[in-house]
Amino acid sequence: MSEPLQSPGPRSGGGQTVERDQLPTLPHRGRATVPAVSVRGLSKSFDRGRVTALDLESLTVDLGEFVSITGPSGCGKSTLLHLLAALDRPSSGSVQVFGQDLRRLPSPTRYRRTEVGIVFQLQNLIPQLTARENVEIAMFGTGLRRGERRERATQLLADVGLVEQADRPPTRLSGGERQRVAIARALANSPRLLLADEPTGSLDADSIERFLALLERLRRQQPELTVVMVTHDEQVAAVADRVISMQSVADSPTPG
Amino acid sequence: MSFVRLILRNVAVRRLRSALTAVVVAIGVLTVVTLGIVLSSIRTSALAVLQTGRADFTVSQKGVADVLNSNIDASDVAGIRRLPGVADNAGALIATTRLNRENPIFLQVGLRPEDFGAFGVTLVAGQAYAEDSPHDVLLGWRAARNPGLHVGDAFDLAGDHQRVVGIFSTGQALGDAGMMLPLSTFQAAERQPGEVTLVFVRAAPGVDVQALRTTLERNNPQLVTVRTASDFGRADRSLQLIEAAAKGTTLLAVLIGAVIVLSTTLMTYLERLREFGVLSAIGWSRLRVLTLVLAEAGVVGLVGAAVGVGLSFIVTLLLQRTPDLVGVLQVHYTTDVFWRALITALGTVTLGALYPAVRAARLSPLEALRHE
Repeated sequence: MSEPLQSPGPRSGGGQTVERDQLPTLPHRGRATVPAVSVRGLSKSFDRGRVTALDLESLTVDLGEFVSITGPSGCGKSTLLHLLAALDRPSSGSVQVFGQDLRRLPSPTRYRRTEVGIVFQLQNLIPQLTARENVEIAMFGTGLRRGERRERATQLLADVGLVEQADRPPTRLSGGERQRVAIARALANSPRLLLADEPTGSLDADSIERFLALLERLRRQQPELTVVMVTHDEQVAAVADRVISMQSVADSPTPG
Repeated sequence: MSFVRLILRNVAVRRLRSALTAVVVAIGVLTVVTLGIVLSSIRTSALAVLQTGRADFTVSQKGVADVLNSNIDASDVAGIRRLPGVADNAGALIATTRLNRENPIFLQVGLRPEDFGAFGVTLVAGQAYAEDSPHDVLLGWRAARNPGLHVGDAFDLAGDHQRVVGIFSTGQALGDAGMMLPLSTFQAAERQPGEVTLVFVRAAPGVDVQALRTTLERNNPQLVTVRTASDFGRADRSLQLIEAAAKGTTLLAVLIGAVIVLSTTLMTYLERLREFGVLSAIGWSRLRVLTLVLAEAGVVGLVGAAVGVGLSFIVTLLLQRTPDLVGVLQVHYTTDVFWRALITALGTVTLGALYPAVRAARLSPLEALRHE
């Protein structure tokens, strides 16, 4: 059904199988086409190689698949997400998204604008703008006219149940509402890959429930949408098709 | 939401800082525009003296600090008259004195009556003086209007009793606010016998004026010809110095303004690091981020330019009423004033905002998003 996910460990150089599918998963919807995400021998280090944040042997996410990535703090979950979003460049290895090698992207901003939607833990909405405007600004540079951007933003906010709050600034929205605005913004340009970094980390239980219901609904509406979600909450992770558990890089065994 | 609206919103959100930055720009614009207006006015007034009458060009002594310090000998005047291509010329001895509070710079012109035509003098009342009359004068219509003087009235200047025999007009504000008297009388009074300040030359029909000027300057290396405003600096060095000082002041005003704009824009940039990170993360190009920051500064600059131009109008109006400048400062507002304001304001904000804008555009989204 799926290939093993391996992390060689930063200092060992040897391969280490990372636990996976430890939590209940939905059926794997693999397809015979180019995978949504394909990672090989990926590593990211900082401080001139002295600190290794991520060391991942392989990972494949199929088109339309919903994958949750869990693991302890510092295991490189968010780093992986940043690399998939082309927010950062790997130190070595290859990352391919929909067949594009992210190391050779002519324009990472164009890639983020057209292929990827990102939801952050802290939402990162722009405070001086309304909910609708926060969604609209993601569509600048896409060729849509002002009226079309406004119409689409309103529709997206309606989809996440916030049409009545469209003209409110983020300061007048609850944490859950802000997260839903962030989802609407992430979906503004109809991305094929949705990346969510601890999207429920700052939400209360009710908001988490609403967020997960929204994700489920989105996936039903857009079965081609691939979702990679980083979370430390196992219950949240469990709603995915597949749960990948990453180990801390520091916990990896060393040779000898 | 349009991009323009986003720019305006961002400016409006930081009202106080935007307003203070606009004030800085306005002060720079005020300095530059006011200096420009005053200089242009001084140049226009000075040039009016040189361009009085129907002359094709004016001749002055070369390299004098002030054109009114020019001294041209009577033999030179006669030599100019003999030049082929010269139809007519008129030598005038020109000086200024303080008449009263309303006329701090009163123009006195010594001119032979037969040269009135060449000088462009039109008698509007009375008659011309005789060249040998020691006390007869003509008053410009502006000079006669304020004290209500008429033909036949007495006119006292620095204790000398003169008689107004006529009222004239030259079509130049400064000239019409002055007086004329016989050349020989004025030369004696000024202890400059046989000397004039300027020579007004009219070329014969069909003569190449530029070629005539070249010949005149070649034959008389101590003299210089002036025809247009741009020639003025050749005859008057003081105006050149004032213009150089004004350019220096303009540059200084722009630089000081740019440094202040830089500091406020940098402060704003640091506060908005996270916002720039978000914009990059959601796919904004570097060019768009750069445009956003520069356009926001541009809006502040435009407001500053408008305020600065408004303030400069007020300041020049006040300057016009300053006793020492009454009658001298003839303010002319031209489109050049607005261009100067616009260039100063946009130059100031572009210089000040360029560095923060480039930093915002080149910012790593991850670093920015980690910023608290």
